[in-house]
Amino acid sequence: MHAEKTAQGIETGAGTLAPETLRTLYRHMLAARMLDGEAIALQRQGVFPAYVSLHGQEAAQVGSAAALDPEHDFAFPTYRELAVAVTMGVDLVGYLASHRALWHGGLYDPIASRFSCLNAVVGGPVPHAVGWALGERLRGGPGCAIAYFGDGASSEGDVHEAMNFAGVFGSPVVFFCQNNQWALSVPNSAQVAGGSIAARGAGYGMPGVTVDGQDVVAVFEATRAALERARAGGGPTVIEALTYRVNPHSTSDDAGRYRDPAEELRWRERDPLLLMRRALERDKHANADFFTDVEDRVRAECVRVRDEVSVLPPPDGSDMFAHVYREPTEELRRQHRVWRDEVEQ
Amino acid sequence: MTELATTPASADATASEHSMQQAINAALRTLLAEDPATLVFGEDVGRLGGVFRVTDGLQAEFGDQRVFDTPLAESGIVGLAVGLAMNGWRPVPELQFDGFAYPAVDQIVNQVARMHYRSRGAAPMPITLRLPSFGGIQAPEHHGESLEALFAHVPGLKVCSPSDPADAYRLLLQSVRADDPVVYLEPKARYWNRSPGALTEPDLPIGASRVVREGRHATLVAWGAMVHHCLRVAEFAAEDGVELEVLDLRWLKPIDTAGLTASVRRTGRVVVVHEAPLTAGLGGEIAALVQEHAFRDLRAPVQRVTGFDVPYPAGPLEPQYLPNADRVLLAVQRTLEF
Amino acid sequence: MSETAGPGGAERTFALPDLGEGLVEATVLEWLVRAGEHIERNQPLVELETSKSAVEIPSPHSGTVARLHAAEGEVLAVGAALVTFEVEASAGIVGTVPTEERPTRRVRLRPPSE
Repeated sequence: MHAEKTAQGIETGAGTLAPETLRTLYRHMLAARMLDGEAIALQRQGVFPAYVSLHGQEAAQVGSAAALDPEHDFAFPTYRELAVAVTMGVDLVGYLASHRALWHGGLYDPIASRFSCLNAVVGGPVPHAVGWALGERLRGGPGCAIAYFGDGASSEGDVHEAMNFAGVFGSPVVFFCQNNQWALSVPNSAQVAGGSIAARGAGYGMPGVTVDGQDVVAVFEATRAALERARAGGGPTVIEALTYRVNPHSTSDDAGRYRDPAEELRWRERDPLLLMRRALERDKHANADFFTDVEDRVRAECVRVRDEVSVLPPPDGSDMFAHVYREPTEELRRQHRVWRDEVEQ
Repeated sequence: MTELATTPASADATASEHSMQQAINAALRTLLAEDPATLVFGEDVGRLGGVFRVTDGLQAEFGDQRVFDTPLAESGIVGLAVGLAMNGWRPVPELQFDGFAYPAVDQIVNQVARMHYRSRGAAPMPITLRLPSFGGIQAPEHHGESLEALFAHVPGLKVCSPSDPADAYRLLLQSVRADDPVVYLEPKARYWNRSPGALTEPDLPIGASRVVREGRHATLVAWGAMVHHCLRVAEFAAEDGVELEVLDLRWLKPIDTAGLTASVRRTGRVVVVHEAPLTAGLGGEIAALVQEHAFRDLRAPVQRVTGFDVPYPAGPLEPQYLPNADRVLLAVQRTLEF
Repeated sequence: MSETAGPGGAERTFALPDLGEGLVEATVLEWLVRAGEHIERNQPLVELETSKSAVEIPSPHSGTVARLHAAEGEVLAVGAALVTFEVEASAGIVGTVPTEERPTRRVRLRPPSE
């Protein structure tokens, strides 16, 4: 799988990034990988009711998120974007609180983090990204929005409506599709008519870019190019990062029921961390000490996050009532009193 | 058919008589002028001024950055509003007709209504969704629906419907200025009827009902176009010596339980009149509230006069579907004889 | 559409229809026919302006224009008489005219004894 030229001619592929940047990309991917492992363990230990692993998609997420302007851009995730959260510096305890089922949207501040709430309606947040981007342009702000979605969500009407709106408005938004080949149990062949999500960009008047989603540098460059174009007033881009969901859809899923384990093995050989480590070693941008050191530091951070999320107190029942409205109705206040009198012990 | 170059809808806020279409137009003008964060958008709301001309002249006055047409996709329109709100704007999207809100229900229910909750207050949704609603104009299918019960059932939304021009003005100002999402249901059948009354600032809190006719024998509870209808029925009843109170509920969420209860204390009898089908309609909710809060004041069971449990019918059948005067009077008679 | 017997055939009065989903009135911009003129069905009759648009009304009948009921610039309510024709007895009646929305009643109430 290699970076390709798009129908509209935007080049993707290797660029010249500073060694420090490359090492940072690796560190984010490693942090996501290790935290993902901790999360799977926490599910098996009864701490998380369920978890959705991003194993295999680290390069697609870290590469795209690292290209964002952290001061001005805004990301709209679905529910499998842990590595985006890691890269954007989102409070990871608050992020994983969603998987511990403490609060559906997570306990981080989405506005301050510039990373919207976890959203379980795949495709639903994509028009939000267009609205945010349109609002940014109306205000004369420099920010761009990035909408994350998968090959499954690419079938949702909202994704098509959003792309059309962005095309019509010329909004500064990047539609970032992680094509991980499987929408739960349904493969691309039964999901994506025409076989390419990037190709749909042409129909909406925007460039469509296919990129090797296992190559963090290629993803970074493709996203950076799309963001630069958007920031300069060039409008939206759709990027399709070809990647793979190595693990089952969720901790409740059994991938053995619908796909050949040999396929997983083939993709594990193209593991994005492995590829990046080899490249760093080959180009002498990192030595053994670096890898030992970064692993130690990342592991310590993961342990901290794991331990903190594990001991977070459950939300107060009052929280059910606290955030429904800005100005609560009298009836909701009454129900809050009923809860206090009849439920709270 | 040629479009008008002039703007007949432009309402002078000091004029004493307006149609509801003019009053809503004037409210949008006031809101756009007072808050630069307010945006008006939807299908055909820009250059055309909306299919009911409610946004007539607004794009010319405020520019196509603040009043703009969108592609024809309701879910996209509402999703756009969510993102705009997250970037600090105060969106006032229009969906062209009631029945076309259904394609946007996912965004309305799963996103608009919940984003403030999901984000624990970090992402308020000061969105007012304008929805031309209800029947009575012999329109095509999907142009005569009553969605108030659907939206009133959704935690996080507020829902209102004006019955006359002056109140349409006040309710829209209140809805848009509120930091919570409001679904604002505009009774299409009342768009063009003019009535006296200055366009003034809101004078009642969100959720307040209004007694539009006082009476002592029974209360008719209604909203939207049915308020006008109930006032006519009250005139008939008066000919027979029966004094009906008419309560314009105005807010379908929150419902004014105190106002309802106070009226029941005066009359002891309640007939709820709505266009929506009977089963699981708001009439049931109102009946429940009345018996919970004013059981001892009731002299008869609460009656419901509503549309039937059928899809909204085509034009010639509308008068047989919508609550007519006789059905309301019969219900009143049942409460009087109980 | 009201019909009365008149000399040389029936008189039919064409009332202002609702020209667009709940409109209540229209302004007469310009008459395109004169009293006494013979016109064919669908011949342009009058140009009206509503709150939504300006629209040309095609004649619903072939016949002679007997009377115009409104002057140019005048505002007419939906259901008000617009024009009266003298028509050949065989002419068909097209369309329906929205009745004045005054509701009717059959039910009479018996007030409670207090």
